[in-house]
Amino acid sequence: MIQLIRVSKHYDRRPALSNVTLEIDKGEFVLLMGASGAGKSTLLRLLIGAERPDDGQVFVYGKNVTTLKQSEIPYLRRKVGTVFQDFRLLKKKSVFDNVALPLLVQGAAPADIRRKVTEALRAVGVEHKRDQLPVGLSTGEQQRVCIARAIVNGPVVLLADEPTGNLDPQLTEEIIELFKLINARGTTVVVATHDPLVMAQVNRRVMTLAQGALMPEPGALA
Amino acid sequence: MRTLAYLLREAWANLRTNRTTTMVAILTTAFTLACIGIFLLLYVNLRAAAGWLQEDIKIMVYLDDQLAGDALANVERQLRADRAVAAMHFISKEQALGEFKAQFPSESHLLEGLGQNPLPASFVVTLSPPFRSPDAVKRWSERVQRLSGVAKVDYNQDWIDALAMVIRSIELVAIGIGLVLSAAAVTIIANTIRLTLFARRDEIAILRLIGATTSFIRIPYLLEGAVLGMLGSTLSLLMLKFLYELFRQQMRTTGRLSGLDALVAFFPWSLCLALVAVGMALGCAGSFVSLRRFHEAKP
Repeated sequence: MIQLIRVSKHYDRRPALSNVTLEIDKGEFVLLMGASGAGKSTLLRLLIGAERPDDGQVFVYGKNVTTLKQSEIPYLRRKVGTVFQDFRLLKKKSVFDNVALPLLVQGAAPADIRRKVTEALRAVGVEHKRDQLPVGLSTGEQQRVCIARAIVNGPVVLLADEPTGNLDPQLTEEIIELFKLINARGTTVVVATHDPLVMAQVNRRVMTLAQGALMPEPGALA
Repeated sequence: MRTLAYLLREAWANLRTNRTTTMVAILTTAFTLACIGIFLLLYVNLRAAAGWLQEDIKIMVYLDDQLAGDALANVERQLRADRAVAAMHFISKEQALGEFKAQFPSESHLLEGLGQNPLPASFVVTLSPPFRSPDAVKRWSERVQRLSGVAKVDYNQDWIDALAMVIRSIELVAIGIGLVLSAAAVTIIANTIRLTLFARRDEIAILRLIGATTSFIRIPYLLEGAVLGMLGSTLSLLMLKFLYELFRQQMRTTGRLSGLDALVAFFPWSLCLALVAVGMALGCAGSFVSLRRFHEAKP
Protein backbone atom coordinates (compact mmCIF):
# COMPACT_ATOMS: atom_id res chain seq x y z
CA MET A 1 0.00 0.00 0.00
CA ILE A 2 2.84 2.38 0.96
CA GLN A 3 6.44 1.98 -0.04
CA LEU A 4 9.43 4.28 0.34
CA ILE A 5 12.68 3.28 -1.33
CA ARG A 6 15.87 5.09 -0.24
CA VAL A 7 14.08 8.37 0.23
CA SER A 8 15.98 11.49 1.24
CA LYS A 9 14.74 15.02 1.70
CA HIS A 10 16.63 18.15 2.70
CA TYR A 11 15.51 21.62 3.73
CA ASP A 12 18.28 24.19 3.22
CA ARG A 13 20.88 21.41 3.23
CA ARG A 14 19.55 20.19 6.58
CA PRO A 15 18.45 16.56 6.25
CA ALA A 16 14.80 15.97 7.10
CA LEU A 17 14.82 12.37 5.89
CA SER A 18 17.90 10.28 5.14
CA ASN A 19 17.80 7.19 3.00
CA VAL A 20 14.49 5.93 4.37
CA THR A 21 13.18 2.62 3.10
CA LEU A 22 9.92 1.21 4.44
CA GLU A 23 6.85 -0.74 3.44
CA ILE A 24 3.35 -0.68 4.90
CA ASP A 25 0.84 -3.30 3.83
CA LYS A 26 -2.85 -2.87 3.10
CA GLY A 27 -4.92 -2.79 6.28
CA GLU A 28 -1.99 -2.20 8.63
CA PHE A 29 -2.07 0.23 11.57
CA VAL A 30 1.36 1.80 11.95
CA LEU A 31 2.62 4.27 14.48
CA LEU A 32 5.35 6.58 13.26
CA MET A 33 7.18 7.69 16.39
CA GLY A 34 9.87 10.28 16.86
CA ALA A 35 10.69 13.54 18.56
CA SER A 36 9.80 16.89 17.02
CA GLY A 37 11.91 17.46 13.92
CA ALA A 38 12.59 13.74 13.44
CA GLY A 39 11.03 13.83 9.96
CA LYS A 40 7.54 12.38 10.67
CA SER A 41 5.60 15.26 9.08
CA THR A 42 7.97 15.34 6.10
CA LEU A 43 7.34 11.66 5.52
CA LEU A 44 3.56 12.15 5.62
CA ARG A 45 3.81 15.16 3.28
CA LEU A 46 5.77 13.03 0.81
CA LEU A 47 2.94 10.49 0.85
CA ILE A 48 0.34 13.07 -0.27
CA GLY A 49 2.60 14.73 -2.82
CA ALA A 50 2.93 17.98 -0.84
CA GLU A 51 6.70 17.55 -1.07
CA ARG A 52 8.95 15.80 -3.56
CA PRO A 53 11.92 13.76 -2.33
CA ASP A 54 15.42 14.81 -3.30
CA ASP A 55 16.27 11.15 -3.82
CA GLY A 56 14.39 7.87 -3.87
CA GLN A 57 10.90 6.72 -4.79
CA VAL A 58 7.57 6.99 -2.99
CA PHE A 59 4.68 4.66 -3.87
CA VAL A 60 1.14 4.98 -2.54
CA TYR A 61 -1.68 2.68 -3.64
CA GLY A 62 0.36 1.60 -6.63
CA LYS A 63 1.15 5.15 -7.78
CA ASN A 64 4.68 6.49 -7.94
CA VAL A 65 4.11 9.81 -6.16
CA THR A 66 7.61 10.95 -7.11
CA THR A 67 6.75 11.02 -10.81
CA LEU A 68 3.08 12.05 -10.57
CA LYS A 69 2.22 15.17 -12.54
CA GLN A 70 0.98 18.12 -10.48
CA SER A 71 -2.43 17.72 -12.11
CA GLU A 72 -2.64 14.09 -10.89
CA ILE A 73 -1.89 14.88 -7.23
CA PRO A 74 -5.53 15.85 -6.37
CA TYR A 75 -6.71 12.41 -7.50
CA LEU A 76 -4.13 10.74 -5.23
CA ARG A 77 -5.30 12.86 -2.29
CA ARG A 78 -8.87 11.71 -2.82
CA LYS A 79 -7.63 8.21 -1.92
CA VAL A 80 -5.68 9.38 1.12
CA GLY A 81 -7.45 10.93 4.11
CA THR A 82 -5.43 13.30 6.28
CA VAL A 83 -5.89 14.37 9.89
CA PHE A 84 -3.90 17.19 11.47
CA GLN A 85 -3.06 18.36 14.94
CA ASP A 86 -4.62 21.77 14.24
CA PHE A 87 -7.73 20.22 12.58
CA ARG A 88 -7.69 22.64 9.61
CA LEU A 89 -11.44 23.10 9.42
CA LEU A 90 -13.08 25.94 7.48
CA LYS A 91 -14.21 28.34 10.19
CA LYS A 92 -17.11 29.82 8.24
CA LYS A 93 -18.63 26.53 7.20
CA SER A 94 -20.79 24.25 9.31
CA VAL A 95 -19.62 20.86 10.48
CA PHE A 96 -21.74 19.26 7.74
CA ASP A 97 -20.26 21.49 5.02
CA ASN A 98 -16.71 20.86 6.24
CA VAL A 99 -17.18 17.11 6.08
CA ALA A 100 -18.98 17.37 2.72
CA LEU A 101 -16.07 19.22 1.11
CA PRO A 102 -14.08 16.18 -0.17
CA LEU A 103 -17.25 14.88 -1.80
CA LEU A 104 -18.08 18.27 -3.30
CA VAL A 105 -14.70 18.61 -4.97
CA GLN A 106 -15.34 15.25 -6.63
CA GLY A 107 -18.75 16.38 -7.89
CA ALA A 108 -20.77 13.88 -5.81
CA ALA A 109 -24.58 13.97 -5.99
CA PRO A 110 -26.38 15.84 -3.16
CA ALA A 111 -28.15 12.68 -1.98
CA ASP A 112 -24.82 10.83 -1.82
CA ILE A 113 -23.26 13.73 0.04
CA ARG A 114 -26.05 13.79 2.61
CA ARG A 115 -25.85 10.03 3.17
CA LYS A 116 -22.06 9.77 3.36
CA VAL A 117 -21.60 12.85 5.54
CA THR A 118 -24.26 11.61 7.95
CA GLU A 119 -22.56 8.21 8.11
CA ALA A 120 -19.14 9.76 8.71
CA LEU A 121 -20.44 12.10 11.41
CA ARG A 122 -22.22 9.18 13.08
CA ALA A 123 -19.05 7.08 12.93
CA VAL A 124 -17.06 9.70 14.83
CA GLY A 125 -19.93 10.57 17.20
CA VAL A 126 -20.65 14.20 16.29
CA GLU A 127 -23.79 13.79 14.19
CA HIS A 128 -25.72 16.04 16.59
CA LYS A 129 -23.26 18.90 15.89
CA ARG A 130 -23.77 18.88 12.11
CA ASP A 131 -25.16 22.43 11.85
CA GLN A 132 -22.68 24.09 14.20
CA LEU A 133 -19.62 26.09 13.20
CA PRO A 134 -16.25 24.60 14.21
CA VAL A 135 -15.60 27.49 16.58
CA GLY A 136 -18.47 26.30 18.81
CA LEU A 137 -16.97 22.83 19.23
CA SER A 138 -14.55 21.46 21.80
CA THR A 139 -11.06 20.45 20.62
CA GLY A 140 -12.00 16.79 20.79
CA GLU A 141 -15.10 17.41 18.70
CA GLN A 142 -13.11 19.43 16.17
CA GLN A 143 -10.69 16.54 15.81
CA ARG A 144 -13.59 14.14 15.31
CA VAL A 145 -14.95 16.41 12.56
CA CYS A 146 -11.50 16.46 10.99
CA ILE A 147 -11.45 12.64 11.08
CA ALA A 148 -14.96 12.50 9.60
CA ARG A 149 -13.78 14.71 6.72
CA ALA A 150 -10.78 12.42 6.20
CA ILE A 151 -12.88 9.23 5.98
CA VAL A 152 -16.03 10.53 4.29
CA ASN A 153 -15.05 9.43 0.79
CA GLY A 154 -13.74 6.03 1.92
CA PRO A 155 -9.97 6.53 1.57
CA VAL A 156 -7.66 3.55 1.27
CA VAL A 157 -5.12 5.20 3.55
CA LEU A 158 -5.62 7.47 6.55
CA LEU A 159 -2.65 9.62 7.57
CA ALA A 160 -2.71 11.44 10.90
CA ASP A 161 -0.03 13.94 11.91
CA GLU A 162 0.07 14.37 15.68
CA PRO A 163 -3.71 13.95 15.87
CA THR A 164 -3.71 13.96 19.68
CA GLY A 165 -1.22 16.80 20.14
CA ASN A 166 -3.89 19.20 21.37
CA LEU A 167 -5.94 16.67 23.34
CA ASP A 168 -5.95 15.54 26.97
CA PRO A 169 -5.32 11.82 27.79
CA GLN A 170 -9.05 11.00 27.92
CA LEU A 171 -9.70 12.53 24.47
CA THR A 172 -6.50 10.97 23.13
CA GLU A 173 -7.80 7.56 24.09
CA GLU A 174 -11.14 8.23 22.38
CA ILE A 175 -9.49 9.41 19.15
CA ILE A 176 -7.12 6.43 19.05
CA GLU A 177 -10.10 4.11 19.50
CA LEU A 178 -11.68 5.82 16.52
CA PHE A 179 -8.58 5.16 14.40
CA LYS A 180 -8.69 1.50 15.47
CA LEU A 181 -12.30 1.30 14.35
CA ILE A 182 -11.49 2.86 11.00
CA ASN A 183 -8.57 0.45 10.60
CA ALA A 184 -10.81 -2.47 11.50
CA ARG A 185 -12.95 -1.58 8.46
CA GLY A 186 -9.93 -2.16 6.22
CA THR A 187 -8.37 1.28 5.93
CA THR A 188 -4.60 1.46 6.27
CA VAL A 189 -3.83 3.88 9.11
CA VAL A 190 -0.55 5.69 9.73
CA VAL A 191 -0.38 7.86 12.85
CA ALA A 192 2.64 10.09 13.37
CA THR A 193 3.09 10.98 17.04
CA HIS A 194 5.68 11.68 19.70
CA ASP A 195 3.25 10.76 22.48
CA PRO A 196 4.30 7.52 24.34
CA LEU A 197 0.71 7.28 25.65
CA VAL A 198 -0.50 6.65 22.14
CA MET A 199 2.10 3.92 21.63
CA ALA A 200 1.03 2.23 24.85
CA GLN A 201 -2.60 2.36 23.78
CA VAL A 202 -2.22 1.22 20.21
CA ASN A 203 0.15 -1.71 20.67
CA ARG A 204 0.69 -2.17 16.93
CA ARG A 205 3.65 -1.92 14.56
CA VAL A 206 5.91 1.01 15.45
CA MET A 207 8.38 2.76 13.18
CA THR A 208 10.74 5.22 14.78
CA LEU A 209 12.42 8.14 13.09
CA ALA A 210 15.40 9.89 14.64
CA GLN A 211 17.01 12.87 12.92
CA GLY A 212 15.52 11.81 9.61
CA ALA A 213 16.71 8.23 9.76
CA LEU A 214 14.48 5.20 10.28
CA MET A 215 15.51 3.12 13.30
CA PRO A 216 15.45 -0.68 13.05
CA GLU A 217 12.11 -2.06 14.22
CA PRO A 218 12.16 -4.20 17.37
CA GLY A 219 12.67 -7.82 16.39
CA ALA A 220 13.92 -6.95 12.91
CA LEU A 221 17.16 -8.47 11.70
CA ALA A 222 20.07 -6.06 11.80
CA MET B 1 -23.60 21.30 -12.93
CA ARG B 2 -23.64 20.68 -9.15
CA THR B 3 -20.00 21.65 -8.96
CA LEU B 4 -20.73 24.81 -10.97
CA ALA B 5 -23.56 25.73 -8.60
CA TYR B 6 -21.18 25.27 -5.69
CA LEU B 7 -18.48 27.38 -7.38
CA LEU B 8 -21.01 30.15 -8.11
CA ARG B 9 -22.14 30.11 -4.48
CA GLU B 10 -18.51 30.34 -3.39
CA ALA B 11 -17.86 33.30 -5.72
CA TRP B 12 -20.94 35.08 -4.39
CA ALA B 13 -19.93 34.28 -0.80
CA ASN B 14 -16.45 35.73 -1.49
CA LEU B 15 -18.00 38.96 -2.75
CA ARG B 16 -20.37 39.21 0.22
CA THR B 17 -17.74 38.35 2.80
CA ASN B 18 -15.37 41.07 1.58
CA ARG B 19 -18.05 43.70 1.07
CA THR B 20 -15.88 46.77 1.60
CA THR B 21 -13.10 45.53 -0.67
CA THR B 22 -15.71 44.52 -3.23
CA MET B 23 -17.36 47.96 -3.18
CA VAL B 24 -14.01 49.75 -3.48
CA ALA B 25 -13.02 47.49 -6.37
CA ILE B 26 -16.33 48.03 -8.17
CA LEU B 27 -16.14 51.81 -7.74
CA THR B 28 -12.51 52.13 -8.82
CA THR B 29 -13.13 49.81 -11.75
CA ALA B 30 -16.22 51.84 -12.66
CA PHE B 31 -14.26 55.11 -12.62
CA THR B 32 -11.46 53.60 -14.69
CA LEU B 33 -13.87 52.12 -17.20
CA ALA B 34 -15.80 55.41 -17.26
CA CYS B 35 -12.56 57.14 -18.30
CA ILE B 36 -12.22 54.58 -21.10
CA GLY B 37 -15.89 55.21 -21.90
CA ILE B 38 -15.42 58.97 -22.17
CA PHE B 39 -12.64 58.48 -24.71
CA LEU B 40 -14.70 55.88 -26.50
CA LEU B 41 -17.65 58.29 -26.66
CA LEU B 42 -15.34 61.00 -28.02
CA TYR B 43 -13.94 58.52 -30.50
CA VAL B 44 -17.37 57.31 -31.64
CA ASN B 45 -18.60 60.88 -32.12
CA LEU B 46 -15.43 62.16 -33.76
CA ARG B 47 -15.43 59.12 -36.03
CA ALA B 48 -19.03 59.88 -36.96
CA ALA B 49 -18.11 63.53 -37.62
CA ALA B 50 -15.20 62.39 -39.79
CA GLY B 51 -17.66 60.14 -41.62
CA TRP B 52 -19.91 63.12 -42.36
CA LEU B 53 -16.92 65.05 -43.66
CA GLN B 54 -16.00 62.10 -45.85
CA GLU B 55 -19.50 62.21 -47.33
CA ASP B 56 -18.68 65.72 -48.50
CA ILE B 57 -15.82 64.46 -50.61
CA LYS B 58 -16.99 64.84 -54.21
CA ILE B 59 -15.14 63.41 -57.16
CA MET B 60 -15.53 65.26 -60.43
CA VAL B 61 -15.62 63.05 -63.53
CA TYR B 62 -15.12 65.48 -66.43
CA LEU B 63 -16.35 64.29 -69.80
CA ASP B 64 -14.96 64.77 -73.30
CA ASP B 65 -16.11 68.07 -74.73
CA GLN B 66 -18.49 66.84 -77.38
CA LEU B 67 -19.74 63.75 -75.56
CA ALA B 68 -23.50 63.29 -76.03
CA GLY B 69 -26.21 60.77 -76.80
CA ASP B 70 -25.30 57.07 -76.46
CA ALA B 71 -21.69 57.76 -75.49
CA LEU B 72 -22.81 59.93 -72.57
CA ALA B 73 -25.44 57.40 -71.54
CA ASN B 74 -22.79 54.67 -71.69
CA VAL B 75 -20.51 56.51 -69.24
CA GLU B 76 -23.45 57.19 -66.94
CA ARG B 77 -24.55 53.53 -67.05
CA GLN B 78 -21.05 52.33 -66.18
CA LEU B 79 -20.77 54.73 -63.27
CA ARG B 80 -24.20 53.85 -61.90
CA ALA B 81 -23.35 50.13 -62.11
CA ASP B 82 -20.16 50.70 -60.10
CA ARG B 83 -20.59 49.40 -56.52
CA ALA B 84 -18.15 52.04 -55.26
CA VAL B 85 -20.53 54.81 -56.31
CA ALA B 86 -22.96 55.81 -53.58
CA ALA B 87 -24.51 58.81 -55.36
CA MET B 88 -23.95 60.84 -58.50
CA HIS B 89 -25.48 63.61 -60.49
CA PHE B 90 -24.85 65.17 -63.89
CA ILE B 91 -23.71 68.75 -64.52
CA SER B 92 -24.10 69.86 -68.12
CA LYS B 93 -21.80 72.37 -69.81
CA GLU B 94 -24.50 75.04 -69.42
CA GLN B 95 -24.99 74.28 -65.73
CA ALA B 96 -21.22 74.42 -65.20
CA LEU B 97 -21.08 77.82 -66.86
CA GLY B 98 -24.01 79.06 -64.80
CA GLU B 99 -22.35 77.88 -61.58
CA PHE B 100 -19.08 79.53 -62.58
CA LYS B 101 -20.80 82.81 -63.21
CA ALA B 102 -22.69 82.56 -59.95
CA GLN B 103 -19.51 81.82 -57.97
CA PHE B 104 -17.19 84.25 -59.76
CA PRO B 105 -19.37 87.09 -61.16
CA SER B 106 -16.41 89.45 -61.57
CA GLU B 107 -14.51 86.89 -63.70
CA SER B 108 -17.39 85.90 -66.01
CA HIS B 109 -16.28 88.32 -68.76
CA LEU B 110 -13.15 86.15 -69.24
CA LEU B 111 -15.28 83.28 -70.55
CA GLU B 112 -17.44 85.53 -72.70
CA GLY B 113 -14.32 86.59 -74.61
CA LEU B 114 -13.73 82.98 -75.70
CA GLY B 115 -16.91 82.87 -77.77
CA GLN B 116 -17.89 79.32 -76.79
CA ASN B 117 -18.38 77.63 -73.42
CA PRO B 118 -15.01 76.04 -72.46
CA LEU B 119 -16.31 74.26 -69.33
CA PRO B 120 -16.84 70.50 -69.71
CA ALA B 121 -19.88 68.52 -68.64
CA SER B 122 -19.25 66.28 -65.64
CA PHE B 123 -20.62 63.74 -63.19
CA VAL B 124 -20.26 64.59 -59.50
CA VAL B 125 -19.70 61.32 -57.66
CA THR B 126 -19.89 60.45 -53.94
CA LEU B 127 -18.19 57.15 -53.12
CA SER B 128 -19.64 54.64 -50.65
CA PRO B 129 -17.85 54.42 -47.23
CA PRO B 130 -15.58 51.42 -47.93
CA PHE B 131 -14.12 53.27 -50.93
CA ARG B 132 -13.30 56.56 -49.23
CA SER B 133 -9.74 55.83 -48.11
CA PRO B 134 -7.01 57.73 -50.00
CA ASP B 135 -5.79 54.56 -51.75
CA ALA B 136 -9.28 53.43 -52.72
CA VAL B 137 -10.17 56.87 -54.10
CA LYS B 138 -6.93 56.90 -56.09
CA ARG B 139 -7.50 53.41 -57.50
CA TRP B 140 -11.11 54.23 -58.41
CA SER B 141 -10.13 57.49 -60.10
CA GLU B 142 -7.42 55.81 -62.14
CA ARG B 143 -9.89 53.15 -63.28
CA VAL B 144 -12.59 55.66 -64.25
CA GLN B 145 -10.03 57.84 -65.98
CA ARG B 146 -9.54 55.01 -68.49
CA LEU B 147 -13.25 54.89 -69.45
CA SER B 148 -14.03 56.00 -72.98
CA GLY B 149 -15.56 59.49 -72.95
CA VAL B 150 -13.95 60.51 -69.62
CA ALA B 151 -11.53 63.40 -70.02
CA LYS B 152 -10.32 63.76 -66.46
CA VAL B 153 -11.11 62.68 -62.90
CA ASP B 154 -10.48 65.30 -60.27
CA TYR B 155 -10.75 65.36 -56.48
CA ASN B 156 -9.11 67.06 -53.54
CA GLN B 157 -6.31 64.61 -52.74
CA ASP B 158 -4.90 66.76 -49.91
CA TRP B 159 -8.25 66.97 -48.16
CA ILE B 160 -8.79 63.19 -48.35
CA ASP B 161 -5.26 62.53 -47.07
CA ALA B 162 -5.67 64.99 -44.19
CA LEU B 163 -9.01 63.53 -43.20
CA ALA B 164 -7.66 59.99 -43.30
CA MET B 165 -4.77 61.06 -41.10
CA VAL B 166 -7.11 62.69 -38.58
CA ILE B 167 -9.19 59.51 -38.39
CA ARG B 168 -6.07 57.35 -38.00
CA SER B 169 -4.79 59.65 -35.24
CA ILE B 170 -8.10 59.49 -33.39
CA GLU B 171 -8.03 55.71 -33.63
CA LEU B 172 -4.43 55.48 -32.39
CA VAL B 173 -5.06 57.79 -29.45
CA ALA B 174 -8.25 55.90 -28.57
CA ILE B 175 -6.45 52.54 -28.73
CA GLY B 176 -3.52 53.86 -26.67
CA ILE B 177 -5.70 55.35 -23.94
CA GLY B 178 -7.96 52.30 -23.99
CA LEU B 179 -5.00 49.97 -23.48
CA VAL B 180 -3.50 52.00 -20.62
CA LEU B 181 -6.82 52.32 -18.79
CA SER B 182 -7.67 48.66 -19.41
CA ALA B 183 -4.37 47.71 -17.81
CA ALA B 184 -5.33 49.93 -14.86
CA ALA B 185 -8.69 48.15 -14.53
CA VAL B 186 -6.97 44.75 -14.66
CA THR B 187 -4.53 45.86 -11.96
CA ILE B 188 -7.30 47.12 -9.69
CA ILE B 189 -9.25 43.87 -9.95
CA ALA B 190 -6.05 41.83 -9.65
CA ASN B 191 -5.25 43.57 -6.36
CA THR B 192 -8.75 42.95 -5.01
CA ILE B 193 -8.55 39.27 -5.86
CA ARG B 194 -5.05 39.12 -4.41
CA LEU B 195 -6.38 40.41 -1.08
CA THR B 196 -9.10 37.75 -1.16
CA LEU B 197 -6.61 35.05 -2.01
CA PHE B 198 -4.32 36.13 0.80
CA ALA B 199 -7.20 36.18 3.29
CA ARG B 200 -8.23 32.68 2.20
CA ARG B 201 -4.83 31.06 1.74
CA ASP B 202 -5.42 28.59 4.59
CA GLU B 203 -8.76 27.62 3.10
CA ILE B 204 -7.11 27.09 -0.28
CA ALA B 205 -4.47 24.89 1.37
CA ILE B 206 -7.27 22.79 2.93
CA LEU B 207 -9.01 22.45 -0.42
CA ARG B 208 -5.74 21.26 -1.93
CA LEU B 209 -5.37 18.76 0.87
CA ILE B 210 -8.71 17.12 0.27
CA GLY B 211 -8.10 16.68 -3.44
CA ALA B 212 -9.50 19.82 -5.07
CA THR B 213 -8.13 20.39 -8.54
CA THR B 214 -6.54 23.67 -9.56
CA SER B 215 -9.56 24.64 -11.65
CA PHE B 216 -11.96 23.88 -8.76
CA ILE B 217 -9.95 26.28 -6.59
CA ARG B 218 -9.52 28.95 -9.26
CA ILE B 219 -12.98 29.13 -10.84
CA PRO B 220 -14.67 30.99 -7.92
CA TYR B 221 -11.99 33.67 -8.09
CA LEU B 222 -12.29 33.98 -11.87
CA LEU B 223 -16.08 34.29 -11.47
CA GLU B 224 -15.52 36.85 -8.73
CA GLY B 225 -13.32 38.87 -11.07
CA ALA B 226 -15.91 38.60 -13.84
CA VAL B 227 -18.68 39.81 -11.51
CA LEU B 228 -16.50 42.72 -10.32
CA GLY B 229 -15.77 43.64 -13.94
CA MET B 230 -19.42 43.34 -14.93
CA LEU B 231 -20.69 45.47 -12.04
CA GLY B 232 -17.88 47.99 -12.59
CA SER B 233 -18.59 48.33 -16.31
CA THR B 234 -22.37 48.59 -15.77
CA LEU B 235 -21.85 51.30 -13.18
CA SER B 236 -19.44 53.11 -15.50
CA LEU B 237 -22.07 53.07 -18.28
CA LEU B 238 -24.66 54.53 -15.90
CA MET B 239 -22.18 57.25 -14.91
CA LEU B 240 -21.42 57.98 -18.57
CA LYS B 241 -25.11 58.13 -19.47
CA PHE B 242 -25.66 60.61 -16.65
CA LEU B 243 -22.71 62.76 -17.79
CA TYR B 244 -23.88 62.52 -21.40
CA GLU B 245 -27.39 63.72 -20.56
CA LEU B 246 -25.93 66.51 -18.42
CA PHE B 247 -23.69 67.56 -21.34
CA ARG B 248 -26.62 67.59 -23.78
CA GLN B 249 -28.70 69.58 -21.33
CA GLN B 250 -25.87 72.13 -21.03
CA MET B 251 -25.56 72.35 -24.83
CA ARG B 252 -29.28 72.92 -25.21
CA THR B 253 -29.29 75.74 -22.69
CA THR B 254 -26.18 77.34 -24.19
CA GLY B 255 -27.62 79.32 -27.08
CA ARG B 256 -24.70 79.15 -29.53
CA LEU B 257 -24.32 75.36 -29.35
CA SER B 258 -28.01 74.48 -29.41
CA GLY B 259 -28.75 72.03 -32.21
CA LEU B 260 -25.35 70.40 -31.84
CA ASP B 261 -26.71 68.26 -29.00
CA ALA B 262 -28.79 66.29 -31.51
CA LEU B 263 -25.59 65.29 -33.34
CA VAL B 264 -23.83 63.92 -30.25
CA ALA B 265 -24.77 60.28 -29.77
CA PHE B 266 -24.48 57.81 -26.87
CA PHE B 267 -23.34 54.21 -27.38
CA PRO B 268 -25.84 51.97 -29.14
CA TRP B 269 -27.18 49.03 -27.09
CA SER B 270 -24.91 46.58 -28.84
CA LEU B 271 -21.83 48.58 -27.83
CA CYS B 272 -23.13 48.91 -24.25
CA LEU B 273 -23.41 45.12 -24.04
CA ALA B 274 -19.98 44.75 -25.61
CA LEU B 275 -18.54 47.11 -22.98
CA VAL B 276 -20.09 45.04 -20.16
CA ALA B 277 -18.56 41.94 -21.77
CA VAL B 278 -15.20 43.74 -21.97
CA GLY B 279 -15.55 44.62 -18.26
CA MET B 280 -16.13 40.95 -17.45
CA ALA B 281 -13.15 39.91 -19.55
CA LEU B 282 -10.93 42.48 -17.81
CA GLY B 283 -12.18 41.19 -14.44
CA CYS B 284 -11.33 37.61 -15.40
CA ALA B 285 -7.93 38.79 -16.62
CA GLY B 286 -7.34 40.54 -13.26
CA SER B 287 -8.19 37.35 -11.36
CA PHE B 288 -6.04 35.31 -13.67
CA VAL B 289 -3.04 37.60 -13.08
CA SER B 290 -3.47 37.28 -9.31
CA LEU B 291 -3.94 33.52 -9.43
CA ARG B 292 -0.80 33.15 -11.52
CA ARG B 293 1.22 35.18 -9.05
CA PHE B 294 -0.35 33.72 -5.93
CA HIS B 295 1.91 31.38 -3.99
CA GLU B 296 -0.32 29.04 -2.14
CA ALA B 297 0.42 28.02 1.40
CA LYS B 298 1.52 24.40 1.19
CA PRO B 299 -0.98 21.92 2.57
